[in-house]
Amino acid sequence: MFGNVSRSRLLPMSLPFRYFGAAVAFQLAAWGVLLPFSAELTSFRGGLGPVFAAVPPLTLGVLAMTAIGATLQLLPVATRQPVRALWAVKLVWWALVPGILAFAAAAAAYRPDLMGPGAVLVVAALAGYAVLLWKNLAGARGMRVVVMHGWAALACLAALAATGLALVVRYEHGIALDHGAFRSAHLVLAAYGFMGLLAAGLSSFLLPMLAVAPPPAPRVSFGVLAAAVAAIVVASVGFTAPGALLGLAAATAHVAALERSLRARLRPLPGPAFLLIRVSWACLLGSLALAALGFPGGTLLFAVLLVPGWLLTFLLGVMQRIVPFLASVHASSTARGTPLISALTPVRLLALHHVLHLGALALLAGAALSGEPLVARIGAAAGFAAAAAYAAFFAYVLLKVRSHGNAYPPSQPAPA
Amino acid sequence: METHTRQVSRRLHEEHQATLALWARLEASLAAGKADGALMRAAAASLADEIERHFAFEETELFPRLAAAGEGDIAELLIEEHEAIRAAGRRFIAVLKQNPVNPNLKSQGLELAERLVSHVQKEEMSMLPALDDLLDDETDEALAARLLT
Repeated sequence: MFGNVSRSRLLPMSLPFRYFGAAVAFQLAAWGVLLPFSAELTSFRGGLGPVFAAVPPLTLGVLAMTAIGATLQLLPVATRQPVRALWAVKLVWWALVPGILAFAAAAAAYRPDLMGPGAVLVVAALAGYAVLLWKNLAGARGMRVVVMHGWAALACLAALAATGLALVVRYEHGIALDHGAFRSAHLVLAAYGFMGLLAAGLSSFLLPMLAVAPPPAPRVSFGVLAAAVAAIVVASVGFTAPGALLGLAAATAHVAALERSLRARLRPLPGPAFLLIRVSWACLLGSLALAALGFPGGTLLFAVLLVPGWLLTFLLGVMQRIVPFLASVHASSTARGTPLISALTPVRLLALHHVLHLGALALLAGAALSGEPLVARIGAAAGFAAAAAYAAFFAYVLLKVRSHGNAYPPSQPAPA
Repeated sequence: METHTRQVSRRLHEEHQATLALWARLEASLAAGKADGALMRAAAASLADEIERHFAFEETELFPRLAAAGEGDIAELLIEEHEAIRAAGRRFIAVLKQNPVNPNLKSQGLELAERLVSHVQKEEMSMLPALDDLLDDETDEALAARLLT
């Protein structure tokens, strides 16, 4: 379908970084939209409006955007297959960004009739990405654990696009369908299916690589994958509690396998990014436990643990290691040498980000439990400040790459 | 890491593991403010071998094959990193020979540790799996014998 353009597995820096940059902007936008209306968060019961409008920038703009950029760069390393059609990578970005903006703007303005064009652009972008992913996986050699997770995530992506379109058609044309069932299936397929399986697959080789540790045994990873897929299917067809229970078993095995792997790491310093990753794992297990128990504490607490708690926190932790790593790779040249990753990592800024982001999570969880709008407002403000700190980190890396020339020895080892 | 099918990949992987283990110990020691002379001398000796034999083997035998298979930018990146490690390694070895308690050794050792670990990560992720595809049995055997000499 896509013609041959690239032969190498290393994409030009502008391709993955345009996705990462857009995710930085969408994270600011998501918190920025939520902040003035954050007092409504504790009483939010669904429906269009500004609170709902903060969701697409976070889920599609930050999570899916970063997942697409990261997998298009990292998956070829695992599959030994280059992404051949660079123009398609650009096209997906050009469809996804305006699509999310249009969709979120229409939702914020209570205009379901205008959500359709945005949704169509988003689905077209995801379809283009699905083709790129499918072509890469189809020719894959090696790292079967990552490849099998990729196939499962791709199947979930197709199903979530279908359920998402059905929900938009219902909003626009009022067709009769079981809204609650479709919405639940859409959430399960998006969060635990597409995002979760991609995260689990890439974690199995990426986290041990970053920590210089042996990866989990493939039989364990395949077992986790089988249980996770079964859980997603069971939950998607409406059996929430059994699906969540099965998912909890799979997630516990996944986390235990990676923790066992990390304990055998060769480098002494796991780095602060791993704190975020561990918090994200706790939120993943917490979200599944809440779903298995019938959502005690309300669905808002579940949503906080699921989206900003697990997915966003995991992604931010991993990206704080990946962005300087990739930037170092792309900034390397014969004339200027290779910059040190530690020279591209602003440790204090990231420490500030950790405090703000984890503070935002704690406050939002507190707001969900207490129902106190002021706590939600402070939490949203902390989230916005954390997104600004993360944006400053991203800008710092880009400026360092631009000014690269003198790589100074670090006074402390780079975090693993 | 996945199990490598080629002798050359397996041998290089073993050498990488030994390098990582040694330099991780040195990194931990330096970060803790210790000056373990024996450990630094062992790291310097390992580094000299790495630069002389391991790098030269990769540059003459493997990187040209990677480039021919369409992985020229990865080969180029690895060569650039070799140059950076060589320069930092020579500085470290020279300072260690002159004065084993030179305060600059800490920053130079930490820089080397970071560069070596990052380089090994890239070779393990990108080069070794590619070799499993690129080499046939006969070439693999010949290269493995050459790596051991």
